[in-house]
Amino acid sequence: MRKLESLIEAMAAKPVHAPSGWESYEIKGVFASDLISDILITDGENVLLLTSLLSDQVLRAAAVIGAPAVVLVNRKHIPVALGKAAAKQGIPLFHTQLPKFESCVRLGCLMESV
Amino acid sequence: MSPAPQFQPAEEMSLRIQELAGNLKIRDVMTRKVFAVTRTCTMHDVQAIMKSNAISGVPVVDDKHVIGLISVHDIMNAYEQGWLQDPVANHMTTGVRTLAEEQPLSFAMSAFSKFPYRRFPVVNRNNELTGMVTLRNINMALIQELSRQLDAIETASGRITPAATSENCIFYRIYRIARYDFESGGKASAELREQMQARGVDPKTIRRAAVACYELEINIIAHSYGGTLTLFIDRDRVRITANDFGPGIPDIEQAMTEGFSTASDWIRSQGFGAGMGLPNTKRLSDEFAIQSGVDMGTMVKAVVYLGSGE
Repeated sequence: MRKLESLIEAMAAKPVHAPSGWESYEIKGVFASDLISDILITDGENVLLLTSLLSDQVLRAAAVIGAPAVVLVNRKHIPVALGKAAAKQGIPLFHTQLPKFESCVRLGCLMESV
Repeated sequence: MSPAPQFQPAEEMSLRIQELAGNLKIRDVMTRKVFAVTRTCTMHDVQAIMKSNAISGVPVVDDKHVIGLISVHDIMNAYEQGWLQDPVANHMTTGVRTLAEEQPLSFAMSAFSKFPYRRFPVVNRNNELTGMVTLRNINMALIQELSRQLDAIETASGRITPAATSENCIFYRIYRIARYDFESGGKASAELREQMQARGVDPKTIRRAAVACYELEINIIAHSYGGTLTLFIDRDRVRITANDFGPGIPDIEQAMTEGFSTASDWIRSQGFGAGMGLPNTKRLSDEFAIQSGVDMGTMVKAVVYLGSGE
């Protein structure tokens, strides 16, 4: 279990929508995919979602599975509308310029470290 | 068959009508007393049957299987041409489109809106003629059902009182879903999630129901011409019913296979189209049923028991 803040720092991610208290959200696992159907069949609770999709549906899918936050990988700029959608749905949203693979490697190392 | 004024397109009907049409089966409304003839009967025989029974269409059968149909228009034509003593096989309309008695009434409504026919023969699973359905049958059934529920309807918002559907009903809502409206996709599942959370349902059950609901919403958006999704929650279960107006699924077994998808590149670019929607919905549901008719629509019902957890 890790605090969301430490994962966000590990990816050098920046906030798009960061509601108060997001830093202390507990993260049990990480799941990365660009397929909504894959996201929907993920198991487990408190799973941080990584994706390069820039669709509102990523946020909907995240809400459906109860993901505590979403990180958009390999993204320098995020559409304003997506930030607004995240705020509307109350889902913390971040973006990082790191590719998905690099992001997963960093988070994997972090999650496995004591 | 003679041309008929087209039925109002199903997608323009009120949510209440669409819901009723999804819950009633064609067998519930069809006329079971059917006058049919064999191919060797004459046009005059059919004319006599029509006149004495006040009907305007007679199916032609071979060992209970529909092989054609004679309409009033065909009889008038035979009268003009002097064909009344000819066997019906010479002048019947062939390639008759039939409906299955197990299909939802919404399929019949779609059929009337898409094809210029006044009646459809109805067949059972063995493809044997069991009834006829006309617009009058549909209208009468809907009026009766609406009358029964009229007192229970609160407003036109889509909500009805619990008594209208079940004594135990604690939430009921119908959502209209438009084709390719990805922006609205997920609204029903979000509300379902809220409703279940508010009632203290365990998170795993909420997740199962919400994902099943979301998959069905997206299916309507991505693969149909539009439709409705109905949520019903009572003390024991969540029932999600998705009804769409076509194009229908030619091979349900194939559609239920993981990885099979007919999604376009554009839909795939939205993150969908992995071919997991229906299999995933079935996996997550305690009860699952699907029916589809090509050119008529698809209906999926998924039930998740509350408190069932995994």
